[in-house]
Amino acid sequence: MNRRKKLTTGILLAVSTVVAAVELYGGLHFYTRPYPAGNISGYVAWGAGGPTDVVSRALSVYGARELGTSIIIQNKTGASGSVATEFVKRQPADGYSLLFNSENPPLYKVMGLSGIDYDDYYPVILAGQQTAVLVTAADAAYTTVEALFAEALENPDSIHLATTGAGGLTSNVAAMMEAVSGVSFNQVPFDGDAAVITALLGGHADVTVINYSSAVDFVKDGSIRILAVFSGQRLESEPDVPAISEIYPDYGRYFPWGTFVGVFVDDDTPGDVKATLSEAFRRGWESQGFQTFLEENHITPLGFTGEEARAYIRKWQQVTTWILYDSGQALYSPANFGLERLGEEETQ
Amino acid sequence: MLINILYVAAGVLAGIYVGAVPGLSVTMAASLLISMTYSWEVDAALAVMMGVWVGGVYGGSRAAILLNIPGAPAAVATTFDGYPLAQKGEAGKAIAVSTVVSVFGGMLGLLVMVTAAPFISGIALVFSPRDYLLLLLMGLMLVGSLGGSSMAKGVMMALAGLMLGVVGTDAITGLGRFTLGISDMRTGLSYISVMIGVFGIGEALYQLLHRDRPIIRQNVTKITPPGRVLLGMLPLGIQSALIGVVVGALPGAGGDLAALLAYDTAKRTVKKPKVPFGEGAYEGVVAPESANNAAVGGALIPMLTLGIPGDSVTAIMIGALQIHNIRVGPMIMTSQPDLFPRLAVMLLVANGFLLVFGLTGIRIFSRLVEMPREILMPLIMVISVIGSYSISGNVSDILWTVIFGIIGYLMKYYDYPVGPLILGLILGPSLELHLRRALMSAGSLGGMLGEMVTSPLSLVLLALFALILVSQTGMCRRKAAAR
Repeated sequence: MNRRKKLTTGILLAVSTVVAAVELYGGLHFYTRPYPAGNISGYVAWGAGGPTDVVSRALSVYGARELGTSIIIQNKTGASGSVATEFVKRQPADGYSLLFNSENPPLYKVMGLSGIDYDDYYPVILAGQQTAVLVTAADAAYTTVEALFAEALENPDSIHLATTGAGGLTSNVAAMMEAVSGVSFNQVPFDGDAAVITALLGGHADVTVINYSSAVDFVKDGSIRILAVFSGQRLESEPDVPAISEIYPDYGRYFPWGTFVGVFVDDDTPGDVKATLSEAFRRGWESQGFQTFLEENHITPLGFTGEEARAYIRKWQQVTTWILYDSGQALYSPANFGLERLGEEETQ
Repeated sequence: MLINILYVAAGVLAGIYVGAVPGLSVTMAASLLISMTYSWEVDAALAVMMGVWVGGVYGGSRAAILLNIPGAPAAVATTFDGYPLAQKGEAGKAIAVSTVVSVFGGMLGLLVMVTAAPFISGIALVFSPRDYLLLLLMGLMLVGSLGGSSMAKGVMMALAGLMLGVVGTDAITGLGRFTLGISDMRTGLSYISVMIGVFGIGEALYQLLHRDRPIIRQNVTKITPPGRVLLGMLPLGIQSALIGVVVGALPGAGGDLAALLAYDTAKRTVKKPKVPFGEGAYEGVVAPESANNAAVGGALIPMLTLGIPGDSVTAIMIGALQIHNIRVGPMIMTSQPDLFPRLAVMLLVANGFLLVFGLTGIRIFSRLVEMPREILMPLIMVISVIGSYSISGNVSDILWTVIFGIIGYLMKYYDYPVGPLILGLILGPSLELHLRRALMSAGSLGGMLGEMVTSPLSLVLLALFALILVSQTGMCRRKAAAR
């Protein structure tokens, strides 16, 4: 018994010495080598398998390859992505915690969701933009956007619009339609792109607005129909579907507009780390593999980084926050956060 | 191909342990696997995912039976009778039974998937928010029979669970509720961290503070259940598996609701169990275990027929395929004609390995509960904390686990059932969402009720719900007692 005890103590001591040595070596190694000296954590603000997640994971692999390290992806979901946005900001600003998020953060302040948004981040890269499409089930009564809007004007709130929740793509476009065309729908929120398509197929909703990439297979299959594309021009792959601004030119000033996914790092991160990151992600983004991925999934490449990305995000923010404010969905006026209406600078 | 069989086997083995640790989930394991799939063949990744899935769903029952800690929400119903069996020294036999029926349920789910996928996905599409509401209400009715000594206590705990489910971000408006302005509260109470608290920490505290109770010696000599007994359970196994596969196929519901509904149905349909439900009836292990494994085949149905995920694991599978530029859509059967048979074979192989891995090592596992409490309980507490933290890497989840651990202990001490609390918390958030969706869609309460009686599916569900409700009133109960 006594010998066994001694042996156990001996083994434990040996193990802990080895562990301590490894830790010490690893620690010294980590702090003396240039960035990136170890694995990077990537936090995806939306659920695994969703549209943001899929783009993020694909991009993370190509970015990590260029950085010569691994990016460990975790999903940190909740509160329209604001949980992850706040969490990554709380981590040390050393470039070892990256945020993978969508177009939602620019709405957090006016929606009263969070005080932390992309203003606190440096855009490493914006991967791509998706185009929103207005769709109905193939057997629906409305075959054109004009017919749909006429019905919606005649009987407001009678047509069921399946949405992905407050601040999501569908409710943002619904606010845009209300602002420009004066149409209002009975909005019923579901749990994301797949759920709104299910609702449409099952006849639990009449129309919805989703990303073209989520809709495309169902369009090919003939189970849903696109009434209009929310863009300034038609989609190459859907030449017969009108762009909304062809019919109603007033929409034109909002475009290009759509959902996007990007990689972000705390703005307080040292400049050389920011540069290393955006350089690596830029090369990863340009790689043949990622470009094929974007093409296969009908995502328009953006590839913006730094100031260029900031300008793009700001325009998106000006358009969307004012639309939401005008339709009564925003808690606070965008003016409180220094956001003027798009085009107002010129008219005044 | 041969190597893929090994991948399935490795997945099943890993899955059993991932599933047994509360907090570690199949979804988590699958999402870790996606990024790895880049350097792998897509088939190899799918094989591991399928293995982990089947093993994980089963693994949840191990901890439920041995320690009264469900490894996953889908194993909550298994604790109701599984743990009492362990306390009678029959843990080994209970695990053996749960293995056999899990494989049986899994196979039946596979059979339904192969033979009736388009039919089932048709049903799944028809389910509207009001139908989900009725289904969830039926699940909630289980509370009436979980109260233990007092029905009032059960109902009270279920209400507490429902109320806790309201905390956090309102999924419809996006605004915080009862968050007290604390940022971490916006994600709400994770029902898994509460579950780990009341079941895991609560149980460990109770065992440590009441050490006068003798440690139960486990009977490990005769663990293989006699074939005659298993045959007698066959109708129940089939009934539960069918509930599992249909509920699993619904995109808005999964294995946890399937297991609860199957348990509830078993309680109502099995007239004379040898041992009453809740005191160690084998029927109470058979029903949820058959249902939650059958739900795996069910969840694959909408993915393979409509290109819509049936649950969070299939959502990840679709994402993994998409990364490999394989798009899962409604034409998946024609564009990827071999995906369906490949997944079906993987599911078959996974269930085969489950039988092997599940039945080996039962003796060692059953001995686990004979360990001195002073060693076992602190271990459980450590695992509980790790599990709780790993849900989403939030320290606040650990805090909730500890708080609800203490609450769980007090509940056990004063004889309040913990099952209904978790039931309320699991079902509450989706119950509320579907109720609000149904109301918003119909425009008014009257409108919603009108739709419930005019739609055939809703009418059937409404009638079933009414039947369950009436059968729980005092009059019917007394009649049953008199018989």
